[in-house]
Amino acid sequence: MFCYQCEQTTRTDSGNGCASAKGVCGKDQVTADLQDLLIYGIKGIAQYARRARAFGISDREADGFILYAMFTTLTNVNFNPARFIAMIQEAARLRDRIKARYEEAARDRGTAPEVLAGPAAWQPVDDMDGLLMLAASAAITAGREQVGDDIIGLRAMILYGLKGVAAYAHHAHVLGYESDELYARFEEILDFLAGEPIDAEALVNQALAVGQLNLKALELLDAANTGSFGHPEPASVRMTPVKGKAILVSGHDLKDLAALLEQTKGMGINVYTHGELLPAHAYPKLRAYPHLVGNYGGAWQDQTREFAEFPGAILMTSNCLVEPQPRYRQRIFTAGPVGWPGVRHIANGDFSPVIQAALAFPGFQEDAPEQTITVGFARNTVLGVADKVVDAVKTGAIRHFFLIGGCDGAVPGRNYYTDLADHVPEDSVILTLGCGKYRFNRHEFGAIGGIPRLLDIGQCNDAYSAIQIASALAGAFNCGVNDLPLSLMVSWFEQKAVAVLLTLLSLGIRGIRLGPSLPAFLTPALLEQLSARFDLKPITTAEADIEAALHRAA
Amino acid sequence: MTNHVITLTTRDGQQVRFTCETEQNLLAAAEEEGIVLPSLCRDGGCGACLCTRVDGDYHLDSYNPQALPPDAAARGDLLLCRAHPQSDLSLEAPYDFDRIRFEALASRPAEIVELAPIAENTVRLLLRLQPDSSGGQAAEFEPGQYMSLEIPDSGISRAYSIANTSNWTGELEFLIRLQPGGTFSTYLEREAKTGQRIDVRGPSGHFVLQAQSLRPRYFVGGGTGLAPLLSMLRHMAELQEPQPARLYFGVNREAELFCLDTLRELTEALPRLKIELCVWHPEPSWAGFRGTPVDALRRDLEQGGPAPDLYLCGPPALIDAAAETARAFGISDEHIFSERFLPSN
Repeated sequence: MFCYQCEQTTRTDSGNGCASAKGVCGKDQVTADLQDLLIYGIKGIAQYARRARAFGISDREADGFILYAMFTTLTNVNFNPARFIAMIQEAARLRDRIKARYEEAARDRGTAPEVLAGPAAWQPVDDMDGLLMLAASAAITAGREQVGDDIIGLRAMILYGLKGVAAYAHHAHVLGYESDELYARFEEILDFLAGEPIDAEALVNQALAVGQLNLKALELLDAANTGSFGHPEPASVRMTPVKGKAILVSGHDLKDLAALLEQTKGMGINVYTHGELLPAHAYPKLRAYPHLVGNYGGAWQDQTREFAEFPGAILMTSNCLVEPQPRYRQRIFTAGPVGWPGVRHIANGDFSPVIQAALAFPGFQEDAPEQTITVGFARNTVLGVADKVVDAVKTGAIRHFFLIGGCDGAVPGRNYYTDLADHVPEDSVILTLGCGKYRFNRHEFGAIGGIPRLLDIGQCNDAYSAIQIASALAGAFNCGVNDLPLSLMVSWFEQKAVAVLLTLLSLGIRGIRLGPSLPAFLTPALLEQLSARFDLKPITTAEADIEAALHRAA
Repeated sequence: MTNHVITLTTRDGQQVRFTCETEQNLLAAAEEEGIVLPSLCRDGGCGACLCTRVDGDYHLDSYNPQALPPDAAARGDLLLCRAHPQSDLSLEAPYDFDRIRFEALASRPAEIVELAPIAENTVRLLLRLQPDSSGGQAAEFEPGQYMSLEIPDSGISRAYSIANTSNWTGELEFLIRLQPGGTFSTYLEREAKTGQRIDVRGPSGHFVLQAQSLRPRYFVGGGTGLAPLLSMLRHMAELQEPQPARLYFGVNREAELFCLDTLRELTEALPRLKIELCVWHPEPSWAGFRGTPVDALRRDLEQGGPAPDLYLCGPPALIDAAAETARAFGISDEHIFSERFLPSN
């Protein structure tokens, strides 16, 4: 096993990365190796899918599978080795199907089909030992001795970015929003990786291409979410429990939440959002369900305590899942790409087992005192009052914008983001997205001229909204985004954050502060390059970084 | 009185610490500090609380040598419920940290829904948890765990493995061998009846499926030792877990076989499950396997193939023989999981 795809990866003096029997996330060696092998198999699909497209052949089932399967390998998504074995076999089946269609089309046109090597030629075996022996050649570090850490790091950055793109595009896909252009680009980049590239400049360019591709994925998901559930509107969300039977829905998937709300209509069961599903309350068509009563708990890393105390059923629709504890293992369910061995999985959208479980548990015995927060400041809302915001900046009422966004996590260094929010001066506005906001979204921030000082844009994928807002402000001021009084303080944890970071870099955004620690796959040489080109820099202290941001803006 | 510091390291490398006076047993001392370690009879009879000494001295009260065989005791294995520290102690537990509960087990009222003979000297006892104040009836446990059942108004409890899987209708199914003169058996034969209230406490136990393992799963059960294995197989069927599985279900005579319809249903739900019914002393007409489950296990291990995880439940002699056979075929102890069924009075 070797994995350094997330922020919490093991870091030691002798090197970075989880390389023992179990990763920090709880992923064991067999599962990690099978995930590497699945990625390898997916590259094989992409190698033929790319060539088949040249003949006008596409395979939507394979396209969708690539997104889903890559999503399962994100941090804290799927820990079930049995599911990976099935997906590895499926990857080989789909690859062989596209290969056959490609070769037939080539012959029909009188050209000799390319004979492809690497993942395209790989044959899975039936037994576990054989599979795991293949894993060595599929590891992210394969060939490190020959090509060095910088090349391995660049390949990793591209692959991890693609995983993030896959997650966003999968959420759009389940809502019926797809893009052939996205699939084609995605498969091109995977094909590029399958060729084990060693040209550093080409790798950097492809990494930025992943960023551009992710912008398309974010745009597609924005269209899927707003097209399915309406544009987010400012909404007050109850943060305390209501008496009655209860289901907690975690993850990011709005479709699963909508289906569950529909299936629990009129049953007397209250549905709560958890973690990154908090922004669901702002979507008019989800908010219309009266039994979507509120939000429960905080960010993902607190789940073992909070789920244990939740008196109902729990549904995980995407990351972040950590090992379900015995106190709730029988009443937690996974859906979509998520999995944990021995935990019940809903594969078909029929949530009746979740509902049965919710009815069998006591639920909340009484109403807790009401506490609320306001969410729903996505692009439509903010741009709806753009004139007011622009005026406030022009008059000096708003001095600066701080985007404090991204994931949360357990390490103590993440207190930086709490400190940051608390120390932002009174004449500045905080934009936030992702689950890092739980560190401060119950704090009192007040308003500037009727504009709340804390604007919750939404989930991490609503980075699209943030980009639209920044672009519109830049347009209003007739300047570039880098010239706005705007500072980005990004907290990252998993691969969607890598994708978003690449998007921001590909848009030429400079001066991003990244923390709590920098990605382990970024070698000193790569960091130097990113720093020189994009002024990407690590966080320091809240006070110093705020001061530097205001100084730059002045 | 001297308070000794006890450090228990779990299989996954985590630690719990508690203090224990020489006069206390380790299990009770841990519970006084809210640390509920896996145990069953709490009387030196079953082996469920077995741990291994790494460092320190202790004294053991009397115990059943089937629960702690002499060679194991000589290696430093001990029963927490019978062990008294004579110095600070460092122990290793054969289970993961998540098997430890940090609160007392709750007692819940249940009702007898069915009590019916299913084979010679064997009954099926079906309980339903009574709804809580909000109508909840969740029966939460992991396949392989057990509950303590209290004879009404007696304060006497006996632990039995649960044969079904966790559910939302409060059902707890037990397969119980009636022991001549046994306290709980006598209660079942003479007093228990449908509709009667009985309190249950649990679940407990760490004889559970190794969910993460992709190895084939071989289950060896003797008599009502089938119960936890049935729970595991039902769980596999419900979740459609893909591991190849074999069940070796052994009895002495055909009349002692039970749950055959359930086993047939399981083979339909789990295409990779093979079941071997093993009768040691069958009638001449018996067409199935003649011999013990260990004989059948040995026959199959001789065929080679991927090494399995072994789940053993039943009388100690069966478990010891099956484990010994498995070891002879190179299966290490970390892939052998067992629960000993010992008759209690």
